[in-house]
Amino acid sequence: MIPDPTQTGGTPNKEWQPNASFPVIYMEGITKNYGRIHALSNITLGLSGGVTGILGMNGAGKSTLFKLLMGKLRPSSGQVRLFGTDPWKNPAPYARVGFVPEHEKMHDWMTALEFISTFARLYGMSRKEAEQEARRVLDFVGLSDVANKEIGRYSKGMRQRTKIAHALVNNPDLIILDEPLQGCDPLARTTIMNVIRELGKMGRTVLVSSHILNEIERITEQIVILHQGKLVALGNLHAIRERLDQIPHTIRIVGEDAKALAKDIMDHEAVYGLSFPSSEELLIQTYHFGTLHAELPGIIVNNGHKIKVIDNPDDDLESLLSHLAGGTV
Amino acid sequence: MDEERKNTIWRGLDRKAMAVAEFTMRQQRKRLSTWVIFGVGLTAMAILTMFYLDSMIREVEAIDNDGDSRDFDGDGYPNGQENLYGTDILNPDSHPGILDPTIQPDDPSKWINEDDIDWDSLSDDWSGYDDDGDCRTETRTNSQKDSNNNGIACDIEFVEQRYGDGIDLSADRGVDEDPDDNAFAKEATHRAFVLAMGKFGFAFLLGIFIPLFMATGLIRDEMTSGTMHFMLAKPIARSEVFLYRILGYLGLVWPYMGALIALVAIITGIFGPSDGFFRFSDLGVWAAVLLASMLCTLVYGMLFCMLGVLWKHGILLAIPFAAWELGMMLTTLGAPDASILRFSIIGWAMNIVDAAATLVWLDNGYLMLVGEWGGGSGESLQGTGGLMFFSSQPGLGISPLATIIVSTLVLLFQASICWLIGGAIFKSKEID
Repeated sequence: MIPDPTQTGGTPNKEWQPNASFPVIYMEGITKNYGRIHALSNITLGLSGGVTGILGMNGAGKSTLFKLLMGKLRPSSGQVRLFGTDPWKNPAPYARVGFVPEHEKMHDWMTALEFISTFARLYGMSRKEAEQEARRVLDFVGLSDVANKEIGRYSKGMRQRTKIAHALVNNPDLIILDEPLQGCDPLARTTIMNVIRELGKMGRTVLVSSHILNEIERITEQIVILHQGKLVALGNLHAIRERLDQIPHTIRIVGEDAKALAKDIMDHEAVYGLSFPSSEELLIQTYHFGTLHAELPGIIVNNGHKIKVIDNPDDDLESLLSHLAGGTV
Repeated sequence: MDEERKNTIWRGLDRKAMAVAEFTMRQQRKRLSTWVIFGVGLTAMAILTMFYLDSMIREVEAIDNDGDSRDFDGDGYPNGQENLYGTDILNPDSHPGILDPTIQPDDPSKWINEDDIDWDSLSDDWSGYDDDGDCRTETRTNSQKDSNNNGIACDIEFVEQRYGDGIDLSADRGVDEDPDDNAFAKEATHRAFVLAMGKFGFAFLLGIFIPLFMATGLIRDEMTSGTMHFMLAKPIARSEVFLYRILGYLGLVWPYMGALIALVAIITGIFGPSDGFFRFSDLGVWAAVLLASMLCTLVYGMLFCMLGVLWKHGILLAIPFAAWELGMMLTTLGAPDASILRFSIIGWAMNIVDAAATLVWLDNGYLMLVGEWGGGSGESLQGTGGLMFFSSQPGLGISPLATIIVSTLVLLFQASICWLIGGAIFKSKEID
């Protein structure tokens, strides 16, 4: 079920109104230092509408960026604006924001319904309104049947969905999700990705971070890539993906007969090297990861190979970052 | 119009306040540590109350304070009886038996506790009634009956000290000279217990230790665990979160303190010395104990919560402060008017209880004086020491009612300052 965007729950904040001359998210020359460590360096960014993936390795500055946006951290220099307002000084813009923190810790003693409705009341909703809205968003993330179960008894995926539901309860214009897929099983990932995509279709501004390129790829076309606190790429996924395809990749295949598989694949134009760490294991080097990855299942099936594992030991993002940052990763 | 009224900013704030306070109460209720703290508090107060019950049930042995149950000359007539009839207590041939009509000797026990304190007139300028008649006896001259020269025969005069602000006791000989030790001990012990429990048990011990363990982590624990993000990602100012968290903590602590104080008040009301079935007269003191305890848990709660926000090991900052407060609490016993007490929290709270005790027990000072005098025997009556230890004059030098009002306002001011500083520190804290 898709939430009705026209539904409003909380009491309107008559004092604060968004500044229309600013994009939803605006950061100019943002630097955040922890002593001599530069968590973020000179980030300038403006985002409004659609789903944007914030991509970066662990420690790249994704969470720092989100915490600056959510007023949890104060920038060392530069300015942050959320709907045109400095979130460090004024929490009013949060009336239109939903935030899913990275932290795994939740109030495990509460049921999902209690958790969401309690925090919904901080938007100024009455008890009744908060419960109605909580049931709506729990239904949206597919947790309505376990709404009265304690969060402590939830799986990781259910906990993440609860956090997402909690961030949607005020029908926000901006939703910020910090690593929402981390630790989730495939089913939960798919559900959460669908929810995020749906929110994008509804015209919300969604910011979602991940350190796994393929995950972001399945959610959005617009990507911001952070590396060592710097913004190294910003733009359309396809353009960046094309650049990724041009850089060297390794594909690892484990099967019954690695050498037989190697024979069938060695003439492929995308392959420039093969190696055998063991009799069952084959490493394929390619400059055209996308092409080879698309054709590989057909080659395996057509030649009757029995395969146990196919994976990419080069982290996609690491390779991309290495390429974008000029081999400094 | 109705919707407009409902959706005022104040209504929104009220909803937020209730939401955070309710959440905090539920969160605290779910913690085992909360119930351990409450259990320890209940157990400690129960043990102290058992000591009280024991002292109320156990009879205090009657002492012949003036020694007139004895028979110095061995003529079979107690000295008191001989004094009454004007015979010589050292001459075995002089006794009431030789009078006409002949007087039979009294049982010596009749001359123990035979001249008790006059409880109803203790708060007046003068007191005393010669119950056994050995002062009023016709064998005495008027000047003998008024040895304190205040113009009233057979009385005890309370006079203000010429130097200092205390009161002196000056008694005519043979007045209230053999008080009822059991009655005095029970009254004095009862009052001492009410003050001890109220001031040191509830206002200080529970008043400081409950906030130490429950309020220090109110904000800090959430910051450390990362769950504070859920609360702070809402359109709510951090100083509001600080205040509402404290409200939630008080929502649990105040009813607990109220219930515990009410329980002890009921027990002491039933078992305390009284002409009726219940000592209603103490309720004023217990109300002051409740007020002082509530204010202590409020101010200490705000302070310790602030220290928790200031530093992740805020409890280490709170412990030296608790030690300082212990020192101040002890200072209130010996020097309740010491200026240094103005720089404490407990000093102001103690003022409230002491002022209420002064208002409710108008005769408290005189009771201690009479107990110390001990019928003129030179030995204090049992219970006097305890009452004197736990009783203090409110130290502000103004009327008791004004003391209560001023102390309450000062404590509320202290709480407000802690909130403002705590809110400002919280606002400036980066939360990772």
